[in-house]
Amino acid sequence: MAGGYAGKFLRVNLTEGSWSDFTLDHDTLKRFIGGSCLAAKLFLDQYPLDADPLSPENPLMIMTGPMVGSGFPGTSRFSVCARSPQTGIWAESACGGTFGPELKRTGYDGVVIEGRSQDPVTLTIHDSGVRISDASSLWGRDIYEATDTLKAGDKSAKVLAIGPAGENLARIAAIGNDKGHFSGRAGLGALMGSKNLKAVVVRGTSAKAAKADDAGFKAAMKTAMQEIKDSALAEGLHMMGSDANMDLGMVTGDVPVKNWTSGGEFDLASNLSGPTMREKYLTKAHACTNCPIACKRVVKVDDGPFATAEGPGPEYETCAVFGTMMMNPDLTAVIKANELCNRYGMDTISCGSAVALAMELYEKGEITKDRLGGLDLSWGNMDAVLELVRQTAYREGFGDILADGAVHAARRLGGSAMDAVVHVKGLEAPMHDPRGFHGMGLAYMMSNRGACHLQHFVLATEQGMASWPQLFDMKDDYEGTTSVGKAWLVYNSENYGILANSLSICHYVAYSIRPETLRDAFNAITGFGFDFAELLSTGMRDWTLKRGFNNLLGISKKDDILPKRIMTALEEGGAAGSVPDTDLLLKEYYALRGLDERGFPKEDVLVRLGLNELKERLY
Amino acid sequence: MPIKAMTQEWMDAYKAAIQADPEYKSIAKDWEGSVSLVVNPDPARNVPEPIYLFMDYWHGDVGDFVVCDKEKAESAKFVMTGDYARWKQVAYKELDATKALLQGKLKMKGDLPYVVRNIKTVNKVIDLLGKVDTLWPDDDHQ
Repeated sequence: MAGGYAGKFLRVNLTEGSWSDFTLDHDTLKRFIGGSCLAAKLFLDQYPLDADPLSPENPLMIMTGPMVGSGFPGTSRFSVCARSPQTGIWAESACGGTFGPELKRTGYDGVVIEGRSQDPVTLTIHDSGVRISDASSLWGRDIYEATDTLKAGDKSAKVLAIGPAGENLARIAAIGNDKGHFSGRAGLGALMGSKNLKAVVVRGTSAKAAKADDAGFKAAMKTAMQEIKDSALAEGLHMMGSDANMDLGMVTGDVPVKNWTSGGEFDLASNLSGPTMREKYLTKAHACTNCPIACKRVVKVDDGPFATAEGPGPEYETCAVFGTMMMNPDLTAVIKANELCNRYGMDTISCGSAVALAMELYEKGEITKDRLGGLDLSWGNMDAVLELVRQTAYREGFGDILADGAVHAARRLGGSAMDAVVHVKGLEAPMHDPRGFHGMGLAYMMSNRGACHLQHFVLATEQGMASWPQLFDMKDDYEGTTSVGKAWLVYNSENYGILANSLSICHYVAYSIRPETLRDAFNAITGFGFDFAELLSTGMRDWTLKRGFNNLLGISKKDDILPKRIMTALEEGGAAGSVPDTDLLLKEYYALRGLDERGFPKEDVLVRLGLNELKERLY
Repeated sequence: MPIKAMTQEWMDAYKAAIQADPEYKSIAKDWEGSVSLVVNPDPARNVPEPIYLFMDYWHGDVGDFVVCDKEKAESAKFVMTGDYARWKQVAYKELDATKALLQGKLKMKGDLPYVVRNIKTVNKVIDLLGKVDTLWPDDDHQ
């Protein structure tokens, strides 16, 4: 057994109420490492791709990596994976918090949940055993309430839970870990709801994965802590959270405004920014397990119409989607929207994007007040927005149309709706405008779960948060509004970022430390002895594996596109007059990835990466 | 006629460029406080000693712009330190100052959220740095 792994995985069948352990061989672990990469390998090997994503045949996989639980900074993460209920293609949603290291302490590297329980249940994994128990009394409760109840008997237990959105099979439903951390994207909360699985509770007390080289690990750990201490990025994240991006992003054209139709709203951004949150509403910074950065916000709004008790605060994405995207200048309304989405268990990006779409259609007269049940969905009317968020979680009224995300809503609404949705492959884009950063546009087109800012490190490299010349030939300072040279940037930033996801390490930590430090820590834990080329090759293998997964589900070059709205230049702001050159980007990127004219990995690429079984299925 | 970089004459020219800019006053209306730049020595590029530059900005106006000693530099509200080559890259806009800060190529002591909130002011004064016709030490050296 390689170092860092607990050594076994848990397979639970909710239909039968049974469970068993299984193991993976050393070669599989070395090639696919962990996290979503290992999940994709397992899925392709063992499960049908063509099953309805909300059927019992779609497995829900919760995976850690070999660094999780090691104590190394940022290694709290885990990935929830499946075929997406929202997009129908590969889904993965990584999450920080507390669950990953605790799962490792129970003696498991991951959990695969199959089938469907007849009645609501909770799955409890303790290092002394596994239990499936009745959760009828929890069904209907929001995530905060359910989590508090499940932790009442043991505050050290760590909880993954869904809320009403997941129970109601909203395809934008999220899964919450200990109330403040979310596997948000691609609707995996709906899959959990379809299995009648209210929560997974883990509590480990003894298991500890051995490291291959303790002394080497301690040295890498010491180096990492110093590098984080010296990092201005880490300092900024600690002080302002991810919302530090709001002011800077508005200047550079990164922040979408008014459902992606405007830019240059500096005062609006200032009201919603990390410094403002820090000055007015922050009560403390919060850290995931083993993280010295502590980028998470804990906030409180004492009074006013959106007064909110102390609790987890919004990330940048939430501040943008419930702020600038809706022309809402009130950060307290964003904080309330964030709390509601957390409690109901909904992805803030998807939920906010769907609501912003509805606001635009309301302004155009394509949705009437009558159809909205009397709500005045004018830009910035946050009372109406919050009511619509509630309706979405419960599939009430107009919320039923939004509950499956902006793309499904646009299909049902017709008219100009589809032209107003910014998505790739069915997943709404996160709050980074490709017109300001063309590399991000390519990353959206090619990310395997649809438009995504977390399957890669493009955000860091293109915007200059980090520079890794030791990994690949890159510049210190990229101009955002050019497509030249961006395919190379994206290709390499993907391979490194995907690797980090396989290791289950936080992006912010990976941005703040040198690649040499991450490599040394990884090797000291696992004993794999990888050099940079091998590490990046792992990223390449993972990307290709998931691309093949999607190819088998019908994804091809026709789907590698940016939506009409993004291909329409803005008239103001940092991205004014700019749209990505998608022909250039795709041509260069396809060559780097070894994709054929259909958008399939070429046979020789699959062989070189050791993906022979995938080759047999694709050719 | 180019002015030797990081001399008092150069600081005066930089101050004049800021004062002459039609947009600066409104963009920087909220900025309060002094900034000093510390240029690390680089003998190979004809910068044998550290150089300290102190600039006082206040609500769209500018005060002292002086070459100073270490003690005065360190008294500024914001102290930014970097290698000579990095500062030259910033002046030529080959390297964005914010990115240099995040990548650790420049270091800053001071209230980071304040800088983020006033990023348009920061970008403006850096932009105006490039307006000064400058002879750099290593240009001279060649």
